[in-house]
Amino acid sequence: MAKLIIDGIEVEPDPNKTVLEVANELGIEIPTLCHHKALSPSGTCRLCVVETIWKGRSTLKTACTYPAWEGEIRTNSPVVKRARKFILKLMLAAAPEAEDIRELAAKYDVFDTEYKSRESNWNKKCIMCGLCVRTCDEIMNISAIGFVGRGEHRRIATPMKEYSDICSTCGACQFVCPTNAIKVSDWTDRPIHPIPSEFDQGLVDRPAIYIPFPQAVPNTPVLDDTSCMHFKNDACGVCSAVCPTDAIDYKQVDKIEELDVGAIIVSTGFELYPLKKIPEYGGGEIPDVIDALTMERLLAPAGPTNGIVKRPSDGKIPKSIAFVHCVRSRDPEHGVPYCSRICCMYLIKQAMLYKHAVEDGRAYDFYIDLRTNGKGYEEFYQRAQEEEWVTFIRGKPARIIQNGDKVQIWSTDTLSGRQVKLDVDMVVLAPAMIPSESGLKLLKTLRLATDEYGWIKEQHLKLRPLESMTAGIFISGVAQYPKDITDTVAQASGAAAKVLDMFSQPELVRSPTIAHVDQEICAGCGYCEKACAYEAIAVDPVKHIAVVNEALCEGCGACAAACPSGAVQHSNFFKNQILTMVLEATRKYS
Amino acid sequence: MIKSAEDLNKLAEKFAQKRAKQERLIIVSGGTCGEARGSKSVVSAFRKELEDRKLNDKVHLRPTGCLGFCEREPIVIIEPEKIFYTSVSHKDVPKIINETIEKHKIVEELLYTDPITNKKCMTHDDIPFYEKQQPFIFGNNVNLTPTSIDDYIAIGGYTALAKALSMDRDAIIDEVLKSGLRGRGGGGFPTGIKWKSARQAEGDIKYVICNADEGDPGAYMDRALLEGNPHSILEGMIIGAYAIGANEGYIYVRQEYPLACENFGIAMEKARKYGLLGKNILGSGFDFDIKINRGGGAFVAGESSALMRSIEGKAAVPRPKHVHATQKGLWDRPTVLNNVETWANVPLIINNGSKWYASIGTERSKGTKIFSLVGKVNNTGLVEVPMGITLREIVYDIGGGIRNGKKFKGVQTGGPSGGVLPESLLDLQVDFDSLSDAGSMMGSGGMIVFDEDNCMVDIAKYFISFLVDESCGQCTPCREGLVQMREILNDICEGRGKMEHLDMLEELAWGISQTSLCQLGKAAPNPMLSTLKYFRDEYIAHIEEKRCPAGVCKALVTYTIDAEKCTGCTLCAKKCPVGAITGKAKEAHVIDTEKCVKCGMCYDVCNFDAVKRI
Repeated sequence: MAKLIIDGIEVEPDPNKTVLEVANELGIEIPTLCHHKALSPSGTCRLCVVETIWKGRSTLKTACTYPAWEGEIRTNSPVVKRARKFILKLMLAAAPEAEDIRELAAKYDVFDTEYKSRESNWNKKCIMCGLCVRTCDEIMNISAIGFVGRGEHRRIATPMKEYSDICSTCGACQFVCPTNAIKVSDWTDRPIHPIPSEFDQGLVDRPAIYIPFPQAVPNTPVLDDTSCMHFKNDACGVCSAVCPTDAIDYKQVDKIEELDVGAIIVSTGFELYPLKKIPEYGGGEIPDVIDALTMERLLAPAGPTNGIVKRPSDGKIPKSIAFVHCVRSRDPEHGVPYCSRICCMYLIKQAMLYKHAVEDGRAYDFYIDLRTNGKGYEEFYQRAQEEEWVTFIRGKPARIIQNGDKVQIWSTDTLSGRQVKLDVDMVVLAPAMIPSESGLKLLKTLRLATDEYGWIKEQHLKLRPLESMTAGIFISGVAQYPKDITDTVAQASGAAAKVLDMFSQPELVRSPTIAHVDQEICAGCGYCEKACAYEAIAVDPVKHIAVVNEALCEGCGACAAACPSGAVQHSNFFKNQILTMVLEATRKYS
Repeated sequence: MIKSAEDLNKLAEKFAQKRAKQERLIIVSGGTCGEARGSKSVVSAFRKELEDRKLNDKVHLRPTGCLGFCEREPIVIIEPEKIFYTSVSHKDVPKIINETIEKHKIVEELLYTDPITNKKCMTHDDIPFYEKQQPFIFGNNVNLTPTSIDDYIAIGGYTALAKALSMDRDAIIDEVLKSGLRGRGGGGFPTGIKWKSARQAEGDIKYVICNADEGDPGAYMDRALLEGNPHSILEGMIIGAYAIGANEGYIYVRQEYPLACENFGIAMEKARKYGLLGKNILGSGFDFDIKINRGGGAFVAGESSALMRSIEGKAAVPRPKHVHATQKGLWDRPTVLNNVETWANVPLIINNGSKWYASIGTERSKGTKIFSLVGKVNNTGLVEVPMGITLREIVYDIGGGIRNGKKFKGVQTGGPSGGVLPESLLDLQVDFDSLSDAGSMMGSGGMIVFDEDNCMVDIAKYFISFLVDESCGQCTPCREGLVQMREILNDICEGRGKMEHLDMLEELAWGISQTSLCQLGKAAPNPMLSTLKYFRDEYIAHIEEKRCPAGVCKALVTYTIDAEKCTGCTLCAKKCPVGAITGKAKEAHVIDTEKCVKCGMCYDVCNFDAVKRI
């Protein structure tokens, strides 16, 4: 029986597979550079060479192209190691600035090369693996770039080295390049539209297929069909080619699922007041004026900068940061009159984290007054002042302007009464919390009443703060009004308990005064349906008369008032009952 | 239209009789090299002269392709006396007609004089250059005008095709297999095995390809064959196509061979007209046609897989060949690709039988091989010799030894991928295996002879630089490794060499030959490796003594004037392009080493051996 032996492991030969594929299945690692699962193998970088032994003859073959025929393969023998070292040394000389190659070489104990750096190479990082060329050709079906020239003068270029007319600016070439040697702008002068990462506040770009954020539920990638090339010209399909479980389904579409539920908890959250609408602070104009959510990503250890604070304009580590409180909060003239409640604490936290990250950095907090009303909050503030040396300045900045490569803040220090002009490297604003736009849309669908700012109205602020004005719909979190995590968790738990309480009853107890339709009189005109704010009355499509959902009816009387024929009345509150009562009450006068 | 083998025989007889009547014949050699030396004007001069003297009917003119003796082109042969005139100019034509044609006298000054014996040679057979040759393939060039299919049929052309068409396909392959014919393009792969594999490969469409992308520096036998005897190649291809079951063929000719393309195109056209190419060849029901594909001139396009990619319309870069072209070649169909000379051998084998063919040559290399003998030999040209002849016979007996009485140093065989063999290996048999064992290769038949004035490090640098330029550049070891090799050789030639460079060169050679994608890369280190092996002392002289023994590497050479010998003739000072030589007439001259660009002009012009090169 014919056998294929890879590093001593016997497997069934399979000429339809390559040695690389079989080795990978066995968990044997073979380094590759010009190989990509979604592309045809080219076998040109020669890094994946393995020793083949056939009829006692040992030769070196590239694993990415060599069929898994019978025979013996050694992937890590002395001759293979020598060959890989040789290739890596040549690559280091050809592309001395390719950091990734340097790192790869170090894995094979190659730290330097005795060969001269090759001056004739067109690009100090390019190793000519050709992944970009093959991607543009085979994956994107465009072929905007190709190889030009021969031997040492071989390079990647567009025809005639002119800007390409057919480049779709998809960026796949740049993405697939293992050494960051090329840019899309090398081939085209047309504008390139990167896709900024929503979660990382646009600090970095994201691909068209991505996991929205770590710990997303469900934790699976989503395909952005507005950016994905596959939906544009039926090209690409790399994600599908590399997915080991064939999970990618391009035909999947948005589905509307209809569920019958007994209760809804609304938890639509908030947005920050947009920076662009804060021109006096250079919002949207000065790159180093950012909002607190962006700062949150800069400070995150798993964030786009790996927790190293770098300012957006030039990537330098800022040596001083000003944190500005109450931006459009408590500001009825320009923004909202309410207090956003969480900014005081998170800005103090960010100032402290920044001081931890940049030891010689200086943090300034501009505040109107600090509201540290929570468990341990005041102590936290004290620590920021006394232990972390965060400078607190009481005063609301009037303007923030660009001053050279610094950002200048004009303010007053209301404690000393002096004018303050402060140059810092970066400014973090704490804009007001406002209801999110998409949340407001949902509230409209649910016909939930909101206050003038868009926060959901509760039934009673003190007595029934968890219930919305609609029966069966409960509120949790900032959807009601700004609150911090502690309050949000408490309210969410309360809302859940309310629902469970409702579900645990054998019957729902309602106020007896609810709408009632006299089936004899109702003409099914539907006026009542339009008037009802709770979707509690609707015209039955078969009987063609109005029917009341008694569990939803709040007994407000809007339907009764709207009914042109007087068919809708309130149970226990019929017209004749009222008239009788009126008669009884006025009998002595008659 | 020839519809059968009998028709062909009748036609051949008719043409042969017609030729037999042309008793008095003037043969003028042509081809690209002949034309460069004025053969066209010689032909038209003869034509005009014959017309003017109204000798048209009595005396016939036959312009042919190359006759191999490039050193002495154009050659004129007068039949039936076989008088052999060399280096003929159109001015000599009236004299030849006056003397030889009209008076049957010999024009002495146009005869070839053997430089060794100083003997005048009257006929072809008297010339030592031709003596040891066995021109089975190349010899027919003298017998035909390349554009005339009638000439080819008259000398028995296409009889092999007729014979093959009557044979079983497997029997043809068997015959080729038994003949021991090996690929003449360089690899030396047994042709019969290739054919057999393609014949057995599954697929209804198969292809045959003729590789005429000859690119080795100084090699031009394929061109001479295509120009001089295109029908022999065509006939071989048709036989091969019939044997493997192909109906389509390609000939890939480099752009720089316009005459070869023209002559082959004419040959194809005429063959089609005669029913020897196209539909229903010779009434056998077998269809086959050929397209000419002109290459862009990249050396690497001669590599078989790159050539096929080029025909497919893609860039000529080789691909990994784990699956042979006989299984998946052109457009992934079974394909037989053979070199020009290989195809030209096929009719010979079919006509004379494998036994006859196998009787020529050595045990494992059969038949003859055409070499282009160039460099520092007296007689440069194309030579066809039986396999197994020694290098010494080629260089000294055929080549007439080294020019100007200099000392032989080495001979480079196999083109840029071959190696240089030293004097100690002059008695080496020339065949596929002996050459490979010695670190060189047969290649396509280039043979460059070096004398004591050639620096072996410089030669290695030349070939490696050639390969750097001609590497397709797709795989890392060949693209990067060769550049590094060239840089080190440059350093050595310019006096920056270190002894550890030799180890680096050997490691580079190992890496490039082991890990390159195609044969071009795998064989690329050969010129360097063979010179390092056989002429290591020259490398060491460059590195340790900073001296170029042959005086070639400019950076290591200084020119001085020996005051004792200098007569003050001022010739060197006049010739010096940078005015570095000063001195009064009749007094010893001096070279200003600061100004000197080391062109060597003074050394070459000095009649008194006063300029010294150190």
